[in-house]
Amino acid sequence: MGSFVLISALTSSGSHATGGRGHRPATVGEGLTPAPLANFELHSPHVDSEVQVYSFQGVAGAANATPPSDSPVVAASQFTQPIADYRAYALAQLGRMETQLGRLQAALAGGERADAESAWRGAYADYLRLGAVYLDGQTALDARVAKLNLEIDGTSGGLPGGVSNARFTGLHRIEYGLWSGSSPQALTAYAGALATNVHELAAVLPRAEITPLEYATRAHEILEDAARDFLSGMDVPWSGEGVLATDAGLQATERLIATLAPVVGTTERVMPTVTEELGHLRSVFDGLQAAHGGLLPSNSELTSEQSEQLDGTLQGALEALSQVPGVLETEAPSTVPRIPAADFVVQAR
Amino acid sequence: MKPLDRRSFLARSGLFVGAAGIGAVGALARNGDGSSAAAQGDASGGSPAASPQQEWNVSQAELAESDPFDGPHQAGVLTPRPAQATFAALDSIAPGTGELEAALRALSVRARELTAGGPAPLLEEGAPPSDSGTLGPVNAPDALTVTVAFGASLFDDRYGLTSRRPRELVQMPTFPIDDLDPAESHGDLLVQICAHQRDTVAHTLRELLRTVHGSLQLRWNIDGFSGAARGPTPKNNPRNLFAFRDGTANPPTNDSKLMDELVWAGPGEPAWAAGGTYQVVRIIRQHVEFWDRVALTEQQEMIGRVRSTGAPLGGTSEFEEPRYDLDPHGRRIPLDAHIRLANPRTARTADQRILRRGYNFTRGSDRSGELDQGLIFVAFNQSPERQFATIQKRLLEEPMIDYITPVGGGYFFAPPGTGGATGWIGNGLFAASS
Repeated sequence: MGSFVLISALTSSGSHATGGRGHRPATVGEGLTPAPLANFELHSPHVDSEVQVYSFQGVAGAANATPPSDSPVVAASQFTQPIADYRAYALAQLGRMETQLGRLQAALAGGERADAESAWRGAYADYLRLGAVYLDGQTALDARVAKLNLEIDGTSGGLPGGVSNARFTGLHRIEYGLWSGSSPQALTAYAGALATNVHELAAVLPRAEITPLEYATRAHEILEDAARDFLSGMDVPWSGEGVLATDAGLQATERLIATLAPVVGTTERVMPTVTEELGHLRSVFDGLQAAHGGLLPSNSELTSEQSEQLDGTLQGALEALSQVPGVLETEAPSTVPRIPAADFVVQAR
Repeated sequence: MKPLDRRSFLARSGLFVGAAGIGAVGALARNGDGSSAAAQGDASGGSPAASPQQEWNVSQAELAESDPFDGPHQAGVLTPRPAQATFAALDSIAPGTGELEAALRALSVRARELTAGGPAPLLEEGAPPSDSGTLGPVNAPDALTVTVAFGASLFDDRYGLTSRRPRELVQMPTFPIDDLDPAESHGDLLVQICAHQRDTVAHTLRELLRTVHGSLQLRWNIDGFSGAARGPTPKNNPRNLFAFRDGTANPPTNDSKLMDELVWAGPGEPAWAAGGTYQVVRIIRQHVEFWDRVALTEQQEMIGRVRSTGAPLGGTSEFEEPRYDLDPHGRRIPLDAHIRLANPRTARTADQRILRRGYNFTRGSDRSGELDQGLIFVAFNQSPERQFATIQKRLLEEPMIDYITPVGGGYFFAPPGTGGATGWIGNGLFAASS
């Protein structure tokens, strides 16, 4: 194995993007032994820190030498209250959504497209304020919740025939109909089925298991999904309501972080950065709402400057949020067993 | 590739210098295993026109490499994968079978010229040049391959080919994780162009399209590149844009028996299809920003390999066997790791293996400012249903699906090679239907 060089910034402030608390090059975990070659000062608008040039010489046998976590393990019991708080929050959101769906059904039946679109926005945002759904499908209850989620929020992507597939139902089927000129009355059956599914979800959600790992992972994955699916327009091709959807994801994340803050504690430097970045993002949404007459704009209504501001601030928040799961591990990383030497086989090439 | 003997290389170059002036290079045929017919010496190149003080910015020896266009199989399947590629899907607008046949003949004739290399033909100065000239007066072969494949839609009722359709050639199904854009999916034809240099690929696409204008119209195209070979040994595979080595478990292409079992058309196919292969292309967006925010441990568990070395988890060498048989509960390599689902390495799944020949792509950013990067997944296989689709269905269980979105591509059938210098890709199909 040859050697290569990595330039690693050694921050003294603890605000390094990788979130590590020790002075350790980020790639050391890939089984390479660093040896400092030289120190010099790096001056840039973004980084002002001592920089150390490392030479890495590969070491056979160290390939899985993942360094130990630099955060203490958190007791799983510490997640009990946050998850309970989240369940109560989620049920309240579903209650609000049911109210919006009542409005939606009435508007559709009355042929009031504008009212229907408004109610759809409210219902969609309420649903996304639940945050992410993590289900491994190992239990019948998981499978039921997963099916309900698909019927409520499934898109036409991945369905043979796309929008014409009979399994395309729920919020996005109604979105497709409303924004592509369908008769509102033609959508009432979809709205009725949607309301039934949401009611059932509210009944089963309290019993669905949420593990500490899943809960901690939501800290950044709710907004990761928003960046991937909403602001790109992928999940809202007809209404273009990616800003609204992302704002809902932010609200879910704010709630989640509030419940996790006591678990993370004050000794971690992660939370102040997260709080600061989420605050920046919240102020961007507030600014957008003010600039667009009190309503969040659709993706296409954003100016290029507004898009850059929103996208960039969201990415900054995500970089901070991505550090959260690492400080909420409930188990110490296990060492990967070696492939038994006696059974070492090199593939024929 | 074997090193090129410098004197031999210069002598060959001289042939073209005499014919076409400066900058000429000679074609150097590669053997079936990818080695050059002559040995290569000075990787930094050297030609009669080179000043001793100047360094070439590309390997002149590589520019001189040539992969034969004609043969029992098309080039670009088993031949070594050069660094650059373009995939262009075309739709036929030919009014009749005769016009379509003529376009395919012309495509082969021009592809044969370009892959062989040589002086760009000149016409009178008052006429538009017959070659765009973007590579200069001589087109260096540059290991160029042009691989033509047919989509299922070519076998509809337009050209009387319906009864000749390869048995498993259907429009690529939509898998549950897909978000296919019709504007970059499917097509009547697929032309895969590969070469060492980007300008060779770009020139070839332009020349080939010019040849078939009026009969075949571009539907979508995408450019790809391979990561550079960065070692630690030449055998180590380059990395995809998730930073993991790609192609480690590919079946060896020099095992002709295995290629007959896994790649080339099998029993039950139309006679004209013998020697052909099904080509699956998937344009897979990789959400690289999201991926970069995932802990290394989690990345490695999702893939099942160590990122730095490419070794299976618990191992030290990229080419070490992962030994799932000794890890039935996934303590070392999780049961839903990518490599474990893609190739379980059991007797029952041995005939599901595919030959991958993919490329990375990067094409700007999406509307939310996220990088539009990913993998042009390319697989050659004998049976898409038995092989690619079976693997794809298993991969629906992998956690990595959150970080990727397949957005385009298609199923195609690459017919056999021309068989000789007077043949053309697809001639068997039309001979069978006449």
